Amino acid sequence: MTRILSFLSLGALFGFLLTRAEATEYNRIAGMFLFKDMHLAGVMGVAIAVAAIGLRLLKSGTVKPLGNKKLDVQKKPYHKYQFVAGITFGVGWALTGACPGTALAQVGQLKVQGIVVTLGILTGVFAYLKQQKPPQTAEGAAQLGDHSPVAEAPAL
Amino acid sequence: MEQIFETPWPFWLSGAGIGLFVILLAWLSGKPLGVSGGFAQACDAKQRGKDPWKLIFAFGIPLGAFLGALAAGGPNWTYELGFFESEISQSLAVKTGMLFIGGLCIGYGARWAGGCTSGHAIVGVAQGAKSSLIVTAGFMAGGVLVTQALYWLGA
Repeated sequence: MTRILSFLSLGALFGFLLTRAEATEYNRIAGMFLFKDMHLAGVMGVAIAVAAIGLRLLKSGTVKPLGNKKLDVQKKPYHKYQFVAGITFGVGWALTGACPGTALAQVGQLKVQGIVVTLGILTGVFAYLKQQKPPQTAEGAAQLGDHSPVAEAPAL
Repeated sequence: MEQIFETPWPFWLSGAGIGLFVILLAWLSGKPLGVSGGFAQACDAKQRGKDPWKLIFAFGIPLGAFLGALAAGGPNWTYELGFFESEISQSLAVKTGMLFIGGLCIGYGARWAGGCTSGHAIVGVAQGAKSSLIVTAGFMAGGVLVTQALYWLGA
């Protein structure tokens, strides 16, 4: 319960920060990509610089996470389609003026666009997982001798 | 209070806030900031596993945005899309279709890339990860090309 409340509160703080940064304003994102308004580029630049210092202290062990928790912050793996994957995301970012975090924050601001984009993201994530899954699942199921349809039932 | 809840924060304060948040989250829980993983956990029981913290975190985001807006005297329902409406189209169908298809690209692209603006562009780039630098270049390239094309064709 404490864990649920902690992550819920941390999520809430992040959502609040996104709205204060005006990352949930369509014009700020469109303005950045049109090179007319560099506010958000500045926000991201400062955020990266500040995070870089803190993460370095944590990763080097100079500062230990609270209660000696295991630090689970690593570089994400590289794959050769990553640039194309990034462009796919960027196309969506341009069309919506939102990303996963800001779309959720927009829902809280009662912006209808946030709801539409959130539904789109869920569908896109679901499509990706569905397309990734069948070979793995079929194989896994065959190995386990499990032929029940439950293994492939959508979780939503 | 007005300064906190009503007036938007300048870029340096917003950026410092988000950067410090990344550090706070990692220090308190050991976890890296990320949002698209929460969407994956919403769609897939296997990814939720025994610790659905990403999903819980994702549920907190609209909550905080709502409470912040409440403190500022809002929020009010709106479906307004700024420049897009003044320069391209005011059609409800066009807007809704574009937002949904854009959402699809975001969801599919984020999982394919292994993260989104928070996990890759902020936390990944802050660690100097090659994967994140490449993905973020892709985010920006896609964003700039499509927005420029949209407004060039639409205007």
